[in-house]
Amino acid sequence: MTDENPQETSGQEPFDEAEYRRRQRSRANLMAWMLGALAILFFFITIAKMQIFA
Amino acid sequence: MAQSLTHGETVLPADWRDLFALTKPRVMSLVVFTALCGLLAAPGEVHPVLAFSSILAIALGAGASGALNQWYEAGIDAKMKRTAGRPLPAGRLDPQTALQFGVGLAAFSLFLMLFASNWQATLLLLVSILFYVFVYTMWLKPRTPQNIVIGGAAGAFPPLIGWVAATGSVAPLPVLLFLLIFLWTPPHFWALALFVRSDYAAAGIPMMPVVAGEKSTRRQILFYAIIMAIGAIAPWPLGYTGALYGWTAVILSAIFVLLSIQVGTRTTGEGDRMQPEKRLFAYSIAYLFILFGAVVADHWWPL
Repeated sequence: MTDENPQETSGQEPFDEAEYRRRQRSRANLMAWMLGALAILFFFITIAKMQIFA
Repeated sequence: MAQSLTHGETVLPADWRDLFALTKPRVMSLVVFTALCGLLAAPGEVHPVLAFSSILAIALGAGASGALNQWYEAGIDAKMKRTAGRPLPAGRLDPQTALQFGVGLAAFSLFLMLFASNWQATLLLLVSILFYVFVYTMWLKPRTPQNIVIGGAAGAFPPLIGWVAATGSVAPLPVLLFLLIFLWTPPHFWALALFVRSDYAAAGIPMMPVVAGEKSTRRQILFYAIIMAIGAIAPWPLGYTGALYGWTAVILSAIFVLLSIQVGTRTTGEGDRMQPEKRLFAYSIAYLFILFGAVVADHWWPL
């Protein structure tokens, strides 16, 4: 019996779950901010167009 | 969004900084500035929100072009010192993510432009993206030393798009501004190509110094600098700009030609540090920024 990590014995890098979660979180945060910003931008574009064509 | 960077059998999501780097932010800054100048120099008033959205659409379109360019050229970039650290050749991002990001960003930029501005500007933005990706990146760049000359048109679109976003039509001044960037591109890029020549040679890109040699490239830099100077000053005598722009163009273009004479008439030996070439490259960037700033200043505060 051996307690070696099977990924390490096969020459692959060990999976870094903390890094995976960090990237997932940072991308999710960024996506949320961007979607929020776009919703606000689209709202103001609509208002601006309504003013122009009124 | 797609995944990237494998760790064994599990994949890590792409880091947003790598996706941002894919858009070539430095190139984008010049694109945004020239587009903004085109928009601000146009007659009439544009609602600030619509102006901001149009410029954002142009910036995203340029970013999409950069991403698709890096996706297509990943193999070439890996062979050049200057570009080997980019996300794709460095292995921090997988090609599928880059492709999806580029196509998605391009589609969104067109949608935003159509929503905030008009179909004419949207059409021009579409043409500029397609031209950069298909004509320049895929067709011209790997085939001919004239890649920069014809491909320069792709980078010349932003002021024209900015103007059309504001007015809905094309006029002589933005066409002259298009021409100015078109003529500025060869001396700008060939100055760079002279001091990273070995990089381009290693990657098999037929840049002018690699194919035609240094002497011929230097002569052509000078030739294009003179034509560009004439093109830069032309809006003044033609009556499309005033004296503020005119004198700025005369003085800055004279310096550009002088620096080009330095580059165009010298010969280099082994181990040359290429200082005049680096100076011309750096100056050419400042030249375009100041000149486009002068177009706007001349429009808002004529002498």
